[in-house]
Amino acid sequence: MGPATRKKLFSIMALCAMVGLLLLPIIMSLPSPAAGEEAAADGAKKEGDKVEKGRDVYYKTEGIVVGAPAPKTTDGPKDYPRYNFESRVLLWFANQQHLYYGSFVLAVPIFCMIIEFMGVVTKDKALAKRYDQLAYDFIKISLTAYSLTAILGGILIFTFLTLYPAFFGYLSSIFRPVMHIYALMFVAESGTLYIYYYGWDKMKEGFLKWIHLSMSVVLNIIGTLLMFLANSWIGFMMSPAGVDEQGRFLGNIWHVIHTALWNPLNVHRILGNMAFGGGVVAAYAAYRFLAAKTDEDRAHYDWMGYIAMAIGVAFLIPLPFAGYWLMREVYAYRQQMGITLMGGLLAWLFIIQATMIGILFLSSNYYLWQALGRMRGAEKYQRYIKYLVFLLVCGFLVFITPHTMVMTPAELKAMGGQQHPVLGNYGVMSAKNGGINVIITTTVLSFVWYMRGNKVSTVSWSKFGNIFMGVFFACAYVNIIWLAIYGYYIPANVRVGLSVPQVATTLSCLFFMLALNSAMMKGAKQMGPIEWGKISARSQYALIMLATAFTWMMGLMGYIRSSVRLFWHVNEIMRDNSPWAYTHTVGFAANMISFNVLFFWISILFVFWLGSLGMKKVPVEAKAGVPGGAPQPAGSH
Amino acid sequence: MGQAILYGIISLIICVAYFTLVDHYLMDMQGLDYWYLFRK
Repeated sequence: MGPATRKKLFSIMALCAMVGLLLLPIIMSLPSPAAGEEAAADGAKKEGDKVEKGRDVYYKTEGIVVGAPAPKTTDGPKDYPRYNFESRVLLWFANQQHLYYGSFVLAVPIFCMIIEFMGVVTKDKALAKRYDQLAYDFIKISLTAYSLTAILGGILIFTFLTLYPAFFGYLSSIFRPVMHIYALMFVAESGTLYIYYYGWDKMKEGFLKWIHLSMSVVLNIIGTLLMFLANSWIGFMMSPAGVDEQGRFLGNIWHVIHTALWNPLNVHRILGNMAFGGGVVAAYAAYRFLAAKTDEDRAHYDWMGYIAMAIGVAFLIPLPFAGYWLMREVYAYRQQMGITLMGGLLAWLFIIQATMIGILFLSSNYYLWQALGRMRGAEKYQRYIKYLVFLLVCGFLVFITPHTMVMTPAELKAMGGQQHPVLGNYGVMSAKNGGINVIITTTVLSFVWYMRGNKVSTVSWSKFGNIFMGVFFACAYVNIIWLAIYGYYIPANVRVGLSVPQVATTLSCLFFMLALNSAMMKGAKQMGPIEWGKISARSQYALIMLATAFTWMMGLMGYIRSSVRLFWHVNEIMRDNSPWAYTHTVGFAANMISFNVLFFWISILFVFWLGSLGMKKVPVEAKAGVPGGAPQPAGSH
Repeated sequence: MGQAILYGIISLIICVAYFTLVDHYLMDMQGLDYWYLFRK
């Protein structure tokens, strides 16, 4: 057996081992819940006791009680041991940091998979090498962050055990099999990640490269499953299922995992993680761009920032729709919960969230407009940018307009009720949806302009294509705005449905217009190369802004999602009787989120610095054949 | 110029029809009446 065949054999074996690791926890777990259920039932029968049955609080099915009721806690050192500090704040900090790093290390391998795949399928060898190097640099950063994630996970568990032992004991009694699977999956994730990373150089060509790419797929499946399992815990805390009204486990672990909010949370978190990961990597590239000493480095980091931003924004665009689905499911699960979120106690946090979303899209658009500057031929779009700014600002102002005001009791009395005489007429959901859909549609339009910046279509039907595209966008704007205004003239129960056609209009622009543009740009005439590195420094600050806004918004949304349970550890099942079972003021929450953001960015800078210590130089041959000296991955967009 | 106007009219007819259908059917799928105000 030759060395090449042996290498292939070992690679296939490693891949099979990864798949085995992936399946092992699932296979091992399958008999356990069933066996537990039967054993409990048998045990009860044998003893001649009556089998106690309970009714599932969500699924409304009957099941045999196999768990203890949720503990009724009291404020004291037994249930809530504490330091001379608010325990909730400590837990908040530990949780948030673990979540930031967890999101980052789950998102970056997905990036690597996409970029490595682009490198494998691209025909340009120099470009393929650059993609491969980029993916390798990403996974290297992710590896250091991965260790930190595990450490923060340990800190989080210890924080739970020491500060909230009764609650954590109850949660782990319900999720016992899931927690074991989680631990095994974590082992599988670590093993796969290390083989994937250390096997990079050994599996860089031909068939072995495909095996390596397959490993990244397995790695990401494991990572995603890990996240799904962790989501089941928060899903259970918000919308419990699989237990009776006393919180006793009814033996069906799938019901406990598959709660009303589990799927919307999963989708929202995948998209959020990807957008966040894109933002962090883009900020890293921006920092390196600003600190670069040579044109070559500037070109590389400009390109890296663009790729990361493009992936991040690609996942940012569907994110509001996933968020909308989550909120819809929250309303469907408990209307009161939805009202607390969007119309009550936490409503003003959504105004802050809307502001942050607006900033995200404004930053993305600003970056794309600046990026047009590195293309010859893109000047023709510059004079139209002011109209896009107008649309974005109008959409933004409508999106952040509140429906109610934060008022003192005296002000409320003077006004004669909750409804503000002027503001009460605005800020309804269909109008806000109109605002955000205008913003997203404008972002799609900016992206279409960027894609065709230095190109002229040569297809025979280009005139019709251009006119059709212009009319389609114009009609989409009219439709979105019309639906937003129409919402004011129809009852709330009809108005609520308008958001679906509004979203469909935006998605139509996204899918149809990007497809039409790609078809029109096939074989297009290039006006000049993309001059990577020749972009304003302002654009890089926009990337840093994008990343910071992502981080801040993640912290904010996590807080909103968690605090909607109000004084419950597990909604309507286990009450929080600690002295901190109240909702913080908006100001305190904002300060806490800012502190978390600051801590994350300082620590991630340390991770980046560690990663840069052994970073390989960008291959010099990448710049071969490019006028102006800057490496040019032509057609990378 | 005449050709551009023709293309514009064709595009407008397609787009208006498409978005009207989107509005109508997506409201209908939710059991809601898109034409509520006009029927009233």
